[in-house]
Amino acid sequence: MTTDQLPGPQRSRLPSGLRSFWAGISAVSTKELRGRMRGRRAFVVVTIYLLLLSLFAFGVYQLLQESAAQRSQWAFDGAVPEDGFSRGFVSGPVSAEIGHALFSGIVVVQTLLILVLAPAFTSGAISMEREKQTLELLITTPLSTLGMVVGKLLSALAYVFLLVVASIPLMSIVFAFGGVGPEDLLRAYLLLFAVAFGVGAIGLFMSALVGRTQIATVLSYVIVLGLTIGTVATHTYLLATSDRDDEGNFLPVEERRQVPEALLWLNPLVADLDLICITVPTGYHFTCSYISTVTGRPYFGDSFGGPMAQPAGMAVECMPNGECFAVDPVGAGIDPAGAAADIEEDLGLGFARDLFWPRTAGAFMALGVALTLLSTQLIAPSRRLRRRQRSALRPLDEPSASAAEVQP
Amino acid sequence: MTAALRTRGLVKRYGRTLAVAGVDLEIAPGEIFGLVGPNGAGKTTTIRMLATLLPPSAGEAEICGYDIARQPDSVRRVIGYMPDTFGVYDDMRVWEYLDFFARCYGISAARRRQMVGDLLDLVDLAAKREDYVQALSRGMQQRLCLAHALVHDPQVLLLDEPASGLDPRARMELRELLRELSTLGKTIVISSHILPELEELCTAVAIIDRGRVLAAGPVEQIQARFRHGSVARARVLGDAEAIVAAQRFLAAQPEVASVEILPDGRLELALPGDEEASAVLLSRTVSNGHRVASFAPAASDLEELFLQITAIDEETAA
Repeated sequence: MTTDQLPGPQRSRLPSGLRSFWAGISAVSTKELRGRMRGRRAFVVVTIYLLLLSLFAFGVYQLLQESAAQRSQWAFDGAVPEDGFSRGFVSGPVSAEIGHALFSGIVVVQTLLILVLAPAFTSGAISMEREKQTLELLITTPLSTLGMVVGKLLSALAYVFLLVVASIPLMSIVFAFGGVGPEDLLRAYLLLFAVAFGVGAIGLFMSALVGRTQIATVLSYVIVLGLTIGTVATHTYLLATSDRDDEGNFLPVEERRQVPEALLWLNPLVADLDLICITVPTGYHFTCSYISTVTGRPYFGDSFGGPMAQPAGMAVECMPNGECFAVDPVGAGIDPAGAAADIEEDLGLGFARDLFWPRTAGAFMALGVALTLLSTQLIAPSRRLRRRQRSALRPLDEPSASAAEVQP
Repeated sequence: MTAALRTRGLVKRYGRTLAVAGVDLEIAPGEIFGLVGPNGAGKTTTIRMLATLLPPSAGEAEICGYDIARQPDSVRRVIGYMPDTFGVYDDMRVWEYLDFFARCYGISAARRRQMVGDLLDLVDLAAKREDYVQALSRGMQQRLCLAHALVHDPQVLLLDEPASGLDPRARMELRELLRELSTLGKTIVISSHILPELEELCTAVAIIDRGRVLAAGPVEQIQARFRHGSVARARVLGDAEAIVAAQRFLAAQPEVASVEILPDGRLELALPGDEEASAVLLSRTVSNGHRVASFAPAASDLEELFLQITAIDEETAA
């Protein structure tokens, strides 16, 4: 034991601030994780979760295989291929379709899981300390409140992340079917982590704002419901009324109001639709048309091509192998290679990839950071109030006056 | 040497009520300082302000030279705080509890391991090391909470009602522990409404009522200032006759205002004089052949003093 190890106030300001920030994260998250991972409970939950997810994936697989078998039957009967392509094509992308459906299903299920679990784990983070009267013991340590809050958030999210990460091997089954690449999985996990962070921060903030865990939990879920169902309902309503004026008369096309897509940025399920649309292997998909409605940018999906935007004044035709060409609608004939290059150049008109979900991820990250900082302010009473007090500094009361005030 | 803790005109206002109405304290290093007062006197509020949990409405306080409002982080490193009511975390073992707080002070892993063992020995919880905190008895939790306040080897301990809810034995053990800490050079500020407990322990006290310090200083000094006489009880050996004889003798002495025989056979004397006069009286009584087995101030001195002082305060307030 040497004296230089002693926590001393004489240390310089910045490093000690950083150190207490780090001490906060490490102390609080170690403590929280010790409590959470103790015993069998945590591992039983992971097992049950993976079993359910596997069952779900298996169900999707069975369902799709059945419908695929039916369709290939139609193909043999000659009922479908009026488009001139061989039956080989129709049965070709079935495997990719199964991969896509599995991917879509697992992404949505995991998003829902995060929406349910993240607030549950964080909405007790601060209020439990208040209820159990342990918060004051923490505040009188030199821990930085930010470190403490971040430690709480990280440890609560660590378990959610564990569930999400544990599903990666299961998710990798989609590679066996094709149609979904590693970059698609990466996108999905980036979005899931951002959503978990943002939604976790909502629970944390509520926990710091209201004293009681139950109320904080309920409020967090109300907000989550608002973000998922509320925003879509509002958006749909605005969209439905965007082509009418106040008296209910139809407006000419150019006067129709644009519904702000920002309304849906914090809706993780809409971002899921975007992810799903990006990976659509073939043909039209409802997710693409919905994202197209939201962003106001045309997705062009014909029966064979992937989701595409249509270059202005041009038609696009896609080959079964996914290669697309711009075609002059008048038939004057333009250089297909040059037009394709144009499509690539103008991102807004080319493949409409990564159009929506990065905004959702960004919005949730920003929300998470903002709410974490706000929570810090809420649990540092002396720091917050001291500032207020300094701004309204009053002269010291006369002792006699103070004594007089005590009288009933 | 400068004071370990000093407050000047410390005020805490909640809306229109004044919880602490200008407290001035000066506590020397190594003292065991008692804050005495009835419930709602402002003891807890004062300690919470000193512990940087509540910003004072006015006035200032410094601990080991650090201002509680301007340098709360420095203050937090030199104080160990034990609140009057506190909870414990679920799902935590005793050693983990101390380890957690040691981490909060950024203490290295090697030192933590050693220190947790030392502290558990100090508060006599070494056998409970692997137990869950919530399964400990109230007294053990209280000792553990005291140990938590010591992880960073603070110079000043702020203990708010540390003995409340403890049985007499646990209370005695706590007192021993605090004495031990005092010999280690720690300044201890302890609040209580149980006066006898502080009387034996404290080197100085402040009597607080309705947010103000009515008297402060070493117990004897306060007594000398406020006491106008005292009540003593004496036990005289012998049969009823001997007791009556002693009563007559005592009643005739100039130091004694009145003497009564209590139902249990003891004598209660009203003594208007100081301790010097009591000593003279006792030696004269003994030399006159009365077999005095005990001669002591009645009840708790401090308690009586406290009642006197708060009574004076109420008279002046009315």
